[in-house]
Amino acid sequence: MSAPEDTPVGGWRNPQLEHDPARAKVRPVLSAVGRRRWWFKLKGGGDRLWRRVRYPFTRRTVLRIRGEYNPKTLARERTVVDKRPIWWLIGLTLLAVLPPLSGNTSLLSAATIFAIYASINLVWMLIIGTAGIFSLATLAVVGASAYGAAWLSIQHGLPWWGMISTGAGLGLAFGVIVALPAIRLEGFYYALLTLGLVELCRVYVVQSKVFGSATGGLYGADTYVPEALQDSDGAVLLGYAAAFVMLLAMLGLYRLVNGQRLGRLLRTAREDEAFAEAVGIGYDRARVQVFLISSVALGAIGGFYASHFKGVSPSIFSTDQLLLMLAMIVIGGIGTAEGAVVGTLIVVLLDKLLIEWGPMRLVLIGLIMLGTVLFTRGGLFGIKSQFRAWRERRKSERRAARTEKGGEVVPEEATDIHDKQAIYYRRQDKLIRDYLRTLVTDELIEEHRRKPLGQHSEALERVLNYFRRGPVPDKYAVMAIKPFEAYRVVALAGRRGVPPRLVDDRVYPTLEEAYHAVFLRRVNDLLES
Amino acid sequence: MIDGYVIVSAVTLASIYGLLAIGISIIWSSLGMLNMAFGFTFAAAGYGAWYAAQQFPDSAAAVLAGGILTGALVGALVCAVAFIPLHDKPNFTVRALIATLAISLLGTQALLAVFGPRVKALPKVFGPKTFELTEDVVITADKLGSVASSIVLLLLVLAWMKTSRRGLEIRAMMQNPEGAALVGIGVRSTAFAVMAVTGALAGLAAVLLSQTYFVSPYSGLLPLIKGLIVALAGGLGSVSGALIAACLLGFVEAATSAVLGGQYVLITQFALIIAILLVRPRGIGGLLDETRE
Repeated sequence: MSAPEDTPVGGWRNPQLEHDPARAKVRPVLSAVGRRRWWFKLKGGGDRLWRRVRYPFTRRTVLRIRGEYNPKTLARERTVVDKRPIWWLIGLTLLAVLPPLSGNTSLLSAATIFAIYASINLVWMLIIGTAGIFSLATLAVVGASAYGAAWLSIQHGLPWWGMISTGAGLGLAFGVIVALPAIRLEGFYYALLTLGLVELCRVYVVQSKVFGSATGGLYGADTYVPEALQDSDGAVLLGYAAAFVMLLAMLGLYRLVNGQRLGRLLRTAREDEAFAEAVGIGYDRARVQVFLISSVALGAIGGFYASHFKGVSPSIFSTDQLLLMLAMIVIGGIGTAEGAVVGTLIVVLLDKLLIEWGPMRLVLIGLIMLGTVLFTRGGLFGIKSQFRAWRERRKSERRAARTEKGGEVVPEEATDIHDKQAIYYRRQDKLIRDYLRTLVTDELIEEHRRKPLGQHSEALERVLNYFRRGPVPDKYAVMAIKPFEAYRVVALAGRRGVPPRLVDDRVYPTLEEAYHAVFLRRVNDLLES
Repeated sequence: MIDGYVIVSAVTLASIYGLLAIGISIIWSSLGMLNMAFGFTFAAAGYGAWYAAQQFPDSAAAVLAGGILTGALVGALVCAVAFIPLHDKPNFTVRALIATLAISLLGTQALLAVFGPRVKALPKVFGPKTFELTEDVVITADKLGSVASSIVLLLLVLAWMKTSRRGLEIRAMMQNPEGAALVGIGVRSTAFAVMAVTGALAGLAAVLLSQTYFVSPYSGLLPLIKGLIVALAGGLGSVSGALIAACLLGFVEAATSAVLGGQYVLITQFALIIAILLVRPRGIGGLLDETRE
C-alpha cells in the first residue's frame, strides 16, 4: 500500500532522449558487408553412419558429412561438406543414359567424340595440372601411337586389343623421348618445343608414303566392333559404350594419380621447387613419373582411337585441333577433373551444334577461351572461389572503411560470435557509454573532488554506478601503503594469485584524494573509448 | 653438295628467320610474354599487303608499306587485348600464353571466314630480274631484295633501339622490368611500342616470305614455329643469340633440303635445337636466371 505520491505519473519517458533529443532521428547505419556462406542442411543425425561407409579397399569416405547442432533450435542436423561426388554421380549417370536413350545416331557419335576428347583432356590435365609441365605434345603422343597401331594392324594384322596395348607401349616410348628435354628445360621453353614437335609430326605424316600421304591418312585398321554389327546403329551404340568406359577408366586414373601419393607429393610445394627438394621430395622424379604414366594412358587412347575410327588421319596433328583441346581445358579450368570434362562438353557441343556457322564457330570458341583467360583465374570451376575471394576483399575493404566502432560488435563479426548474448551486451554497453560521456562535465568532476563518498547528483551517481559494475580485470583500485598516510592507485589483475599492478608512481596522502585519482582515470578511459 | 646455291638460300632464310625471332625475343624479354599470336600477325600482314597490292597494283612500296603497317596495327591490337588487361594479374605468363593462343585460334578462323580458304599470291615486289654471281649461282631479284630489305629494317630497328628515347625505354624494360617501372617508364605505352615494332618486323617478313609462298589463313603457323624455335635456340631475350641461331638454322634448312630432301627439314632442325638446348638449357645467348640475378 504505497503512498499516492510514490506512484509514477504519466507514461514512461526515455531518459536518454530527454538528455539528447537528436538521438530520436538517428537511424543505425547497417554497413553492406555481406554475410556468412549459406549451407544446405539435412535434418536429423546419422553423420557417424556416413563416416563408416568407405570405398572398398581404401580409407576414403563416400561422402563427407558433418553433424552438428543448430545453434537456435539445438536440433541435430547434417551438412554435406563436399558435394562434388553427388554432382559427379548425377552427371555421369546422365551421360551414360541420355545419349543412348535419345536414339539419335549423330548425337550418339558426337557424344562418342566427346568421351574420347574428355579422356585425352583428363590425362592432359594430369600433365599440366598435377605435374605442372606445360606440354602441348599431348595430341602428338595420341596421334603417334594411333598411327603406329593402325600401321601395325594394316600391315601385320594386329587385332584391336593388340592395338590398344601396343598403343600404350608406343605412347611410353614416345613419352620417354618427349620427356627427355623436359628434365632440363623450364616451363615455356618446353611449351614452345612441344608445339614445334606437333608440327614436326604433322609435316612428317603428311609427306611420308608409309603413313599414307597419298590417301590422306591410314585406313583399314581392325576395329572392336564385331562383323555382325558393322554399319548398324548397334555399332554406334557400342562405340559410345566403349568410349564411355574409357572415360570412366581415365577418371579413375586421374583420381589414382592426382589424389594419391604422386599428386600429393607434387602439391606439397608447387611454388617453390627448391623447398620441396630441401624437405626430401623428389620433385623432378615425381613429375617425370606422372608424365610417363600419362604417356602410357595417352598411347592407349591413341590405340583405341585408331581402332574406333578404323584408322587415323593427319588432322589429329593439326594446330587447330590442338588449340581446340586447349580451349576445352582452359574453359573448364586447369587443374580439375571436372574442368576437363565440362570444358570438353561445352566446346564439343558448340562445335557440333553450330556446324553450319563454319569457321565462325571456332571464332566463337576462341572468344570464349579469351574471355575465360582474361576474366577468370581458374576457368569455369574457379569462378566460385574467385567470387568468394572478391567478396571477402570487399568485406574487409568496407570493414576498414568504417570510421567508428567504439567497442560495439560490427555485423560481420556478429555472424562469427556464437554467444548472441555477448553481441547485445556490447551494443548496450556502447549505448550507455555514449550517454555517460555526455554527462561528464567540469562541474561533475569538481563535485566528485569535493566529496568522493556520500550522496551525489543524479548524473554523478549514474557515472559512478557504471564504473562500479565494470569487469574486474584491469579495474582500478586504491592500495594503502601506510594507512592514513600513503595511498597508491593500482589495477587489479582479475586472476587469482596474480598481484595487482601499479599504475603510476604518485602517492596520495589521503584516501579521498586517492578515490578521486581513481575516478579521474576511469573518466579518462570512458572519454577515450 | 654445299655450294653457292645452298649458301644463298641459307642467307635468305636466315634473314627472314632473324626478323621473326628477334621480334619474339624482344617481346619475351621486355614484356615477359610469349606471343603465340605472332603467326596471326604474320598472316594478317600478308593479307594487308595483298589488299594494298589490289589497290595499287604497280607500286612495290605500297605492298611493303601495307604489310608493315598491318603488322604494326595487329601487333598493337594483340597488345591491347592480351597484354594490357593481364599484365598486372596473378599468373600472368601462363594466362598471356593462353590468351595469345586464343587470339591465334580465333584470328586465323576469322581470316578464313573473311577471305576464304583460297590462297592469294602477292606481286613480285623486287621484279623478275636475276643476277649471276658465278656460272651456276644465280640470285633472283626477290632473294636479293629479301636479304637487303630485312637487313636494312633490322639495322634500322636496332639503331632506333640504341639511339632513341623509346628504344632506351624498351632496353631498360628488357634489362629489368621492375626497375624500369620504378624510374618512371610507362609499362603500357612501352608495351604498345614494342608490339607495334615487332608487328612491323613480322609484317615485313610476311611480305618477303610471300614472294615464294602464298598468303593463306594458315600461312602464319610455320613461320611462327620457325621463329619460336630460332628464338628458343638463340636464347629468349638475346638479340645476338637470335641472329646466330637464325644463321645456324637457315644453313641447316638449306643444307638439308639440298642433301636429304624437303621433308627432313623440320627433323634435322629439331635435332639441332634439342642438341643445343640439352647442352645450354636457355639457348645460345640465354643466361640462367640465377646468373641474371
